[in-house]
Amino acid sequence: MDEEYDAIVLGTGLKECILSGMLSVSGKKVLHIDRNKYYGGESASICPLEELFTKFSAPAPDESYGRGRDWNVDLIPKFLMANGQLVKLLIHTGVTRYLEFKSVEGSYVYKGGKISKVPVDQKEALASDLMGMFEKRRFRNFLIYVQDFQSDDPKTWKDFDPNTANMQGLYDKFGLDRNTQDFTGHALALYRDDDYLLQPAIQTITRIKLYSDSLARYGKSPYLYPMYGLGELPQGFARLSAIYGGTYMLDKPIDEIVVGEGGRVVGVRSGTEVAKCKQVYCDPSYVQDKVRKKGQVIRCICLVDHPIPNTKDALSTQIIIPQKQVSRNSDIYVSLVSYTHQVAAKGWFIAMISTTVETENPEVEIKPGLDLLGPIRQKFVSISDYYEPIDSGLESQIFISESYDATSHFETTCLDVLDIFKRGTGEEFDFSKIKHELGDEEQ
Amino acid sequence: MENMATRTQTAQRPNGSAQGKICQFKLVLLGESAVGKSSLVLRFVKGQFHEYQESTIGAAFLTQTVCLDDTTVKFEIWDTAGQERYHSLAPMYYRGAQAAIVVYDITNQDTFGRAKTWVKELQRQASPNIVIALAGNKQDLANKRMVEFEEAQNYADENTLLFMETSAKTAMNVNDIFLAIAKKLPRNEQASGASASGQGRRLAEGDTGARAAGSCCK
Repeated sequence: MDEEYDAIVLGTGLKECILSGMLSVSGKKVLHIDRNKYYGGESASICPLEELFTKFSAPAPDESYGRGRDWNVDLIPKFLMANGQLVKLLIHTGVTRYLEFKSVEGSYVYKGGKISKVPVDQKEALASDLMGMFEKRRFRNFLIYVQDFQSDDPKTWKDFDPNTANMQGLYDKFGLDRNTQDFTGHALALYRDDDYLLQPAIQTITRIKLYSDSLARYGKSPYLYPMYGLGELPQGFARLSAIYGGTYMLDKPIDEIVVGEGGRVVGVRSGTEVAKCKQVYCDPSYVQDKVRKKGQVIRCICLVDHPIPNTKDALSTQIIIPQKQVSRNSDIYVSLVSYTHQVAAKGWFIAMISTTVETENPEVEIKPGLDLLGPIRQKFVSISDYYEPIDSGLESQIFISESYDATSHFETTCLDVLDIFKRGTGEEFDFSKIKHELGDEEQ
Repeated sequence: MENMATRTQTAQRPNGSAQGKICQFKLVLLGESAVGKSSLVLRFVKGQFHEYQESTIGAAFLTQTVCLDDTTVKFEIWDTAGQERYHSLAPMYYRGAQAAIVVYDITNQDTFGRAKTWVKELQRQASPNIVIALAGNKQDLANKRMVEFEEAQNYADENTLLFMETSAKTAMNVNDIFLAIAKKLPRNEQASGASASGQGRRLAEGDTGARAAGSCCK
């Protein structure tokens, strides 16, 4: 440990592992440390099942849960958008070769106490039970507009300037009612609240296109999920970092981040050992005096032995409950994965409900989600503080990631990572630095 | 359920006659730093040897095939990428591995002790059907030997491991140990345990439209 590094990365959550990989690939000498003896931090998948029960101080699971080792339970539920940033990072870094994925089978939206499939193309729009006859036609016209829209071709904008006019204006142009606006903004554009209505329409159009491009990629739904759980993702990026020379130490307590003259970081101390460095990259848990609480997220892990009712027995699902449907300011997300993803014993499913906390009694807030699940065998609730760094890190050279938010996918995760990388290195990540010939050689 | 993703496919010759099966297996390397893990792989895959092999850059994910009767066995070989140094190998590394080579240096008794620990780790973490081979590397330095052949052979026999002394430098037994592993691996889908052909899909650039699960197989 007593060496000098360009960067020391603390914590092996997904964001830190992606950063570690990108830094190593860029030729930096990296030391990557975690105080835990396992990879993943908050983005680990817990295995075996007994450990999950212990974590939540529940009595040990009985034999109906099958072999504990067959379970890999995520603590933070998320899916990958098939055409999103994380998939691009996985493919360009070659990390994808360590992982296998499955498409999520169903994407649903909640309306008036029941769930409906999210309509994404003209055919589905016309068949959907979310809208009446005339509204379906208007929604269909809107979808065609978005589909044909090209940001670099004003002819496709049809007398509407999406860079200056807001999204409410575009909805009004097509005469869409509140209900349709609701599922378009929340289930297709994946906004968590309604602030987007007053933002330039281009942002929402881009997000709807991401949804439909993702859907076009593998079918069924725009979401992907890795076999063996989300905890595989940080491990994959850690391996990338190691291949490019990164050094890994787990189970290593960090006692101090050593700061020198001018408040700049000079090293990291563990016991009596000090590793020198020019920069530190870490998650909020390693620098509690340099982060502030931004809010809280509630997540509820439910173990169930059946699919979610009214989803055509889908073995994986996402359900979005738009805020207005349940008189809230932020959406509730329900996700379901199962034994087919090697995250549960045969016949078992893991449902997760998550949302941003808005009241003193968050468990009541997630009730609309719980009510959709049918009988629940075991329930674990956690409420986590959501932190953000108090500064950009440019002066101290300590770059801190934000906690994982309540979004149902990894887009904000990737934006944070790419932004931190840019702040830390002064440049955008150059994918051409990845030498593909380093591996995967066909003889 | 274990992920025994044996990929079996039937290759076609240009004239259309069946050439036999291609089976793909994940093989992981384990052992202390500097016992010659990467050198063994580079010798096997590229026929090269470098006296001062940089520690694990370059052999992180290589493939090589061996032919057995009517079957082509394709090894997908994972190197530790140095993550063994501070005992920080990820569970992902063992996941779905159908074969492992545990390497020690015959001139260093400590590395043999560590090899035994790695074997235990495999028995704990990896699939129960994994084929494990023990390789006593640096046989070209036999005049500095600290681990007796018989001692290692007895240990291997007790634990039903394949065993050979190898030299990445002279190429001695390098192909042979991979071939011996290939012979012990199940070459049909039934024998491979679970539902075979990778239950998920690998992502690739330009993927469009839904493809069958287990992309490269079936």
